[in-house]
Amino acid sequence: CSDFQKTLKSDDTAAKYEMATDLYEAEKWNKSYRLLDQILQQFRGKPQAEKITFMHAMCSYQLGDYYISSFHFDKFTDVYPQSEKAEEAAFLAAKGYYYNSPVYSKEQKETVEAIEKLQLFLNRYPNSEYLGEANTLVKELDFKLEKKAFEIAKQYNTIGEYKASIKSFNNFLLEFPGTSLRGDAFYYRFNSAYNLAVLSVEHLKEERLKDAINYYNALKKGYPNSTYSEIADMMNADLQKELNTFTTKS
Amino acid sequence: QVEDGETYLIKEINVTGNTNFSAQTIIAYSKLRKDEEIQVGGEKIANAVKTLWKSNLFSSIDIYITNIDGNTANLEINLSDLPELKELSIIGVKRGKKDEIINENKLKPGQKVTENLIATTKNYLTNKYRKKGYLNTKVRITTSEVVDSVEKERVNMRLVLDQGEKVKIKSINFDGNEKIADKKLRKAMKHTKQKNFIRILKRSKYIEDDFREDLVSVIDYYKENGYRDARIISDSISYVDDKTISLDIKVEEGEKYTFGKISFVGNTVYSDQQLSNLLGLKEGDTYNGVELRERIADNSNPDANDITNAYQNWGYMFSSINPVEVSAEGNVIDMEIRISEGKPAYYNNVTVVGNDVTNDHVIYREIRTRPGELYRKSEIIRTIRELGQLGFFDAQQIAPNVKNPNPVDGTLDIEYSVVEQGSSQIQLQGGYGGGGFIGTLGLSFNNFAIKDIFKKDAYKPVPRGDGQSLALRLQASQYYQTYSFSFSEPWLGGKKPYQLSSSLSYSRQFLYDSSTGSADKSKSFNITGLTVGLSTRLAEPDDYFLLSQAISFQHYNLKNYSTSLFTFGDGTSNNLSYTIGLSRNNLYTDPIYPTGGSNFSVSAKFSFPYSLVNGVDYEALAEERADSNTTAERISEIDQERFKWLEFYKIKFKADWYQALTKKLVLRPSIEFGFLGAYNSDRGVIPFERFFLGGDGLANYSLDGREVVQLRGYPNQSLSDADGGSIYNKFSLELRYPITLGAQAKIYALSFLEAGSSVNDFKDFDPFKLQRSAGFGLRIFMPAFGLLGIDFGHAFDESPYGTAVKNWETHFIIGQQF
Repeated sequence: CSDFQKTLKSDDTAAKYEMATDLYEAEKWNKSYRLLDQILQQFRGKPQAEKITFMHAMCSYQLGDYYISSFHFDKFTDVYPQSEKAEEAAFLAAKGYYYNSPVYSKEQKETVEAIEKLQLFLNRYPNSEYLGEANTLVKELDFKLEKKAFEIAKQYNTIGEYKASIKSFNNFLLEFPGTSLRGDAFYYRFNSAYNLAVLSVEHLKEERLKDAINYYNALKKGYPNSTYSEIADMMNADLQKELNTFTTKS
Repeated sequence: QVEDGETYLIKEINVTGNTNFSAQTIIAYSKLRKDEEIQVGGEKIANAVKTLWKSNLFSSIDIYITNIDGNTANLEINLSDLPELKELSIIGVKRGKKDEIINENKLKPGQKVTENLIATTKNYLTNKYRKKGYLNTKVRITTSEVVDSVEKERVNMRLVLDQGEKVKIKSINFDGNEKIADKKLRKAMKHTKQKNFIRILKRSKYIEDDFREDLVSVIDYYKENGYRDARIISDSISYVDDKTISLDIKVEEGEKYTFGKISFVGNTVYSDQQLSNLLGLKEGDTYNGVELRERIADNSNPDANDITNAYQNWGYMFSSINPVEVSAEGNVIDMEIRISEGKPAYYNNVTVVGNDVTNDHVIYREIRTRPGELYRKSEIIRTIRELGQLGFFDAQQIAPNVKNPNPVDGTLDIEYSVVEQGSSQIQLQGGYGGGGFIGTLGLSFNNFAIKDIFKKDAYKPVPRGDGQSLALRLQASQYYQTYSFSFSEPWLGGKKPYQLSSSLSYSRQFLYDSSTGSADKSKSFNITGLTVGLSTRLAEPDDYFLLSQAISFQHYNLKNYSTSLFTFGDGTSNNLSYTIGLSRNNLYTDPIYPTGGSNFSVSAKFSFPYSLVNGVDYEALAEERADSNTTAERISEIDQERFKWLEFYKIKFKADWYQALTKKLVLRPSIEFGFLGAYNSDRGVIPFERFFLGGDGLANYSLDGREVVQLRGYPNQSLSDADGGSIYNKFSLELRYPITLGAQAKIYALSFLEAGSSVNDFKDFDPFKLQRSAGFGLRIFMPAFGLLGIDFGHAFDESPYGTAVKNWETHFIIGQQF
């Protein structure tokens, strides 16, 4: 029977505290966590409680159990707002939410939560040493939401639902004015409009051709040298040609 | 002497009387404080009494002012606790019911006994027994005070219940009805029925609440028949004897009304004529308020063909329709249907929440309501259904939430809220069957993501979320082993719903050795198969058409496996074929119990015509085989040559229709036909891929591409040659009647007439020489078990292949029949 097992089973809280601290320093998170879990209640209200609460939360954070760790870090900052560790705890709580955010193509409830938490942290500690990292995380999470909306709009283009695609890209551009996917969105919006126009029923065709050309102009103006330039120019030429048949007719 | 309105400063508060509560608690509860000013007859004291009284703990509460000294005084709160229940004796009820009574009325020892408790217990029990038909139930509750061992006052309670005789309704009599007969009115009463020997499902109990409800039904019945003013004047109960009562209902029918002119106001989208057709009511029709309401908006059916849906399905989300009676001259009521159309609404944002597992693209491609498109309620309903059919979400919990409806801009957002459900199954089972132990291991993942199989993080516990399905199945007994693997992707390439499905299987079976009674491992028959198919829904002629294509390959390998089926015991055979099928299915409302629509499919499966190009002289081989001098060994060699690559074509056709004859009764005629042919008659029709007609139609494990065709009333596979037929046809007529179509279980009864035949040669085929049968049966569908059923079939003809046919054959049906 190892020392750890013995201590774990004993009733000696002081020994447990000591061993948990040693294990914590040795980065044996799992073992330390099991000991801390046992003594957390008993030390409540005592001077060691602050340290134990922090270590306890940290262990679950290191173990990757972010739902639990964020909960405990949040509690820590509530109970010990004056602690020198409060800032770190607040950051790690927010970062835990960040880790819980799933891939962009699934529900983004956690992503939105994480952004809110990080934003709260930034507001509270505007001079924090974690400022840079927190900003990077927020950016990454924001991008996830952008990417989600972008991919949905793009899928409408893929499955041939061009009207829906144009509408979705317009909504996307309204909602994320500063997005890094803006250029791509301009192109795909034009692409959808192009297809809608080319495949259009006759009586709506002229209007749709004009709409598509407007979207082309927007792309050209905003992104004159995009990777899509060449293909977009070709598509525009097509549109102009088709539009000419209308103008010559009338 | 104190007078109302005088104020005093409270010096002290005392608690007196017969109470177990501490003085502090009571004072705190009363909200009276020391050194506070109070007014005699003022609010503070009244409130204190009120709060204490509300606690339901005291039987009396008095507050006195004592020791008045100038403007100070003491307060005395005098209370006595409610007595607690000590013992309860219940008389007139069986032992088992006593606990129920105690629990439901909270009659535990220690309970404070109030008048209210006694009254509610009495009412509760009386009502409860009345609902069971004991109309004469009497409940008596008496209490007696006792002093318990710690000198505390308590009460004993004695509850006497006399349930009396069960009372039945002997007759329901109507008075004042001239236009509508008693019988019809009684029928309109859904719950309250008079005694009748034939009716066994519903009892003729008298339950007050149900009776009140039924009186409303009677009036509704009148209203549906134009008697808009009908009312119940009185109703009374009279005892015929101890056990029976009669109900007398007096009605006033009033005049019969008819619809006068029905005009529409405010409609621009639909013409008066169109709306009038939808309404289906015209001048001179009997006035029917219920029908009028349903034609405008039928709340019981979201798909109803009513006026509201006509607008809702054409973008007019903000429309509203109000029928108004504009005049009622004589007995003729003129109606004006006032319509406010509003602006047509378009979807702005369409979102999905709740998809923790399934990726966006799998869901969005199924959603029929897309940004920028016109609002249509029917499309929302269809989306909900189709998302449910994916099987990834709990179909009951899919909800469309309309957000930010904006009548000014004519826009709305819609958010589909889904709840993921487990769509993977693990099946591990063992059992006896086919003469020995059979073990099965099945794994099926219905929302698989194959692109993530190399990502470690995705294993939770398997990569999921792309809507693909992957299944593995292993089955083994001492006679055979089957391994199969299948994969399908519903949207190959992500652009169009081209479903790719593929499967790989291997099975191995051993011959039964009658001398040892076990499998002979030296004699085996192995089949390896691979199938790749692609199917797509067509847009033309309508979107119910499905075109499917498949290429399949099977390799048969026989080792020392001599049965009557093959003339070669050792050898191999290959089956490479292409299948093309077209089907159309528009069965509607309920897939388990369709009430309309049709389902037809036609398919052709064929192999390459090898004999045209490979230069083998099959005619010579056929002659040699027919020659009586040829040795068995040589025949086996010839057969090996004939079946090395199977050469065949197979054509199948199947159609069934569902037609509702009455509101419930559904007729299902069906017809099917199958033909297996050879390109080269000398090479002959292959021994695989054949049809086996007769019996329950359940295919167990099919080894050789055989097709088992149901024809009830006959033993399984009795209507085909022992090796299977190459041609068959079948007609059947089934009449179905639903017993219940609830969500928990769907049960229906059926009766059938069937006829079919199977032959080996087109020469023998006579579409009018059929084996016929008739019978009846029952189907039960429960989501957890699938479809179960039993059929009893009577055969009218003998089997042309000599199998003994019983008069009646019982079939157990498991799984869905198509």
